[in-house]
Amino acid sequence: METGLLKDKKKTNIPYMCIRGITIISIALMFFPALSPTNFITQAGQAKIKGVASLFTSGVSYSSLTSGLERAFDKGWLNETYFMIMFVSCFVFILGTVALTVAMCMSLGNLKLKNMANKPLLGGAAGMLLGMAGVTVSYILITNSMDTDKVTTVFPTGLPMYIGITAVIFVLAVYIRIRTPKAQPNEKPEMESKYKLFLMLLPFLLLVFAFSYLPLFSWRYAFFDYEAGGELTAENFVGLKWFKLLISNPAYTTRLIRVLRNTLVMSFLGIATSWVPMIFAIFLSEIRSVRFKRFVQLATTIPNFISWVLVYAIAFAMFNTDGFVNTFINSLGGNADTNYLLSSDFMWIKMLLWGIWKSLGWSAIIYISGIAGIDQQLYEAATVDGAGRFQKMRYVTLPGLLPTYVVMLVMSIAGILSNGMDQYLVFTNANNKNVIEVLDLYVYNLGIGSGDIPLSTVVGMTKSIISVALLFVANKVSKAIRGENVV
Amino acid sequence: MADNTEVKVKKKKKTRYSWQDVVFNICNYTFFAVFTLMCVFPFYYIFINTISDRDLVKAGAITLLPQGISFQNYIDMLKVDTIFQAFGVSTARTVIGTALMVAATGLIGYLVTKKEMWHRKFWYRFIVITMYFNAGLIPWYMNMSMLGLTGTFAAYIIPGIVAPYNIILVKTYIESIPAELEESAFMDGAGFFTVFRKIIWPLSKPILATIAIFGAVGHWNSFTDSLMLMQNTPELYTLQHILYNYLNMSTNIAGIMGSGGGSSDMVEGLLNAKVIKYTVSMVTVIPILMVYPFMQRYFEKGIMLGAVKG
Repeated sequence: METGLLKDKKKTNIPYMCIRGITIISIALMFFPALSPTNFITQAGQAKIKGVASLFTSGVSYSSLTSGLERAFDKGWLNETYFMIMFVSCFVFILGTVALTVAMCMSLGNLKLKNMANKPLLGGAAGMLLGMAGVTVSYILITNSMDTDKVTTVFPTGLPMYIGITAVIFVLAVYIRIRTPKAQPNEKPEMESKYKLFLMLLPFLLLVFAFSYLPLFSWRYAFFDYEAGGELTAENFVGLKWFKLLISNPAYTTRLIRVLRNTLVMSFLGIATSWVPMIFAIFLSEIRSVRFKRFVQLATTIPNFISWVLVYAIAFAMFNTDGFVNTFINSLGGNADTNYLLSSDFMWIKMLLWGIWKSLGWSAIIYISGIAGIDQQLYEAATVDGAGRFQKMRYVTLPGLLPTYVVMLVMSIAGILSNGMDQYLVFTNANNKNVIEVLDLYVYNLGIGSGDIPLSTVVGMTKSIISVALLFVANKVSKAIRGENVV
Repeated sequence: MADNTEVKVKKKKKTRYSWQDVVFNICNYTFFAVFTLMCVFPFYYIFINTISDRDLVKAGAITLLPQGISFQNYIDMLKVDTIFQAFGVSTARTVIGTALMVAATGLIGYLVTKKEMWHRKFWYRFIVITMYFNAGLIPWYMNMSMLGLTGTFAAYIIPGIVAPYNIILVKTYIESIPAELEESAFMDGAGFFTVFRKIIWPLSKPILATIAIFGAVGHWNSFTDSLMLMQNTPELYTLQHILYNYLNMSTNIAGIMGSGGGSSDMVEGLLNAKVIKYTVSMVTVIPILMVYPFMQRYFEKGIMLGAVKG
């Protein structure tokens, strides 16, 4: 009896599984311009039309659907009414998809809820079918009415694919509608908490996917000869060309080596001075006046909370031609008008010092709370043994903080290629360009500055992969030293 | 034995201020005083230059004390459309972005503590693992334009709603709340969302306040998203972006600002680029300095955040 029930449950689940899977796929496909059935016009008069509108965009923005076709409408090469039909059809398709999604969520519930889901399920499937029919009709109408001398089209490969998907969804929906048994009339719509909780989390999971996982998909630009506004097609697939260019073309290699040198120098300077906050904390704890100590802490953490742009504004106010340093010297009777910001001398040291200025007070906090956590009996014992102030600092405080320090140090291995870009971007100028350009800034300059999307993707991608590898190394090291993972 | 120890302690007390100690103390206090001054003085210097007489500032006469105090610069600054607008954009993104982030983080943090969730561990890892990898700047940019967020205000808000590190903090905090409190509510027939709203949310206020403060600072300070995504929509520039642009302009700001509206009197008054740069800097930093005293008590929780980019 019971096994029979279970079997029955499984049987009804299979069509649901299928339709859920297909729905997810079709939702994802909606966002790909290349697969959209609305992109079939390649040229209208002089204007080259590129397939930029995905099915989703076509359904929500009429101007995106018809971008570049305005002249063709004016000249009468294309009939605009048919495009409106297409727009409405796409919109209906999207509405259908939304209804279907709602039905899919409801179908996770009990039989009653499944029954209730049948309405949006059938309605959604019908809407999608209707939408696709509308798109097909408008496609036929457009191609038959257009001026073939002026307008060139290609067959939208996405159209049969969508018709196929929609038909399968519709058949499944009808099958489910027929096969789902009726719930008891007094049954209440309910859902197991495991699915309820999951559905509450689902919108956020989609956000994570869209902003953290989906960017990985853009790595594909590294393998194409892509120019801004262009398309990725089989013709401009170039394989590993950009990777090879980066290591074989002397112009690129020289710049890359220079950038890597800057990056590593900045990182190693950072690591070499990473003990400074710890010493800062130890010395600060030696100050007896509580008020003074509090004030120091308050004041020295401010720089951490301002942006690098503001740090640059401060640098400007202090070291510019008519900044504080020069005016102060002048007020003492000197005659100074050096613009310290333009010079590229000791740039690495200057960058390091700005970094320390910004973060020292803040980084020290973790050690200050570490000192507060050291057992007071250790100090008492040291006093009993005749240790002086310096000996206590050396033999009690320092060893107490060392474990924290080691963790921080190990973690900085993973970030060795990531200096961040803000600091270097704001301080960069024509004079110091060669010594200040670190990897993150290089990627920015290459991609946004020069618009070289493929090459900058290659650099960024390689950096990301090496960074993840370094993170594993750091984790292993930490495990070997302290017996616990940092990640 | 006991007497012996006492003697030793007394001895230490007597030799407490040896000459080494005195030298050390002097050096120590001096060092911290100088470093503190280095952290505070620049703000003070910029401030006194914005409230002093413009001609004196132009002549470089203001070094340590303000002269001819007037707040005219700030009043004029408000009349410049671009700055006023940017202030609005920055404020809006800080308020809306932080509110949504905190609400979402609270809810997610609660949901991932619920062991009965379908594949809870997997989804939790799915979120948290994103802290450790990054597709890179350009793929991120291409993704944003693929999603149609380039040039929209939503680009400031939506990507920041799910903040993995904050979720870990909130989750850890919620796990420390006694389960009995929830259970009794479930007994009374409350749903998950009701329990979250009526019990979990009020009880997690300390940690939510912490992430709110640090989230707000992050929003206020963020600048590269405006720089990259708003290239064709100057009306959506953040204040940081405007400041960056002004700092990079050599001298001829007045012309640009004149086209942004405002009286010719003001343009004349602000002709000195230095004054403009200083005043915009102050406008950008003042909100941070204002919330700063409130932030202090969240420092120790916040150090774990570490994610505040500035």
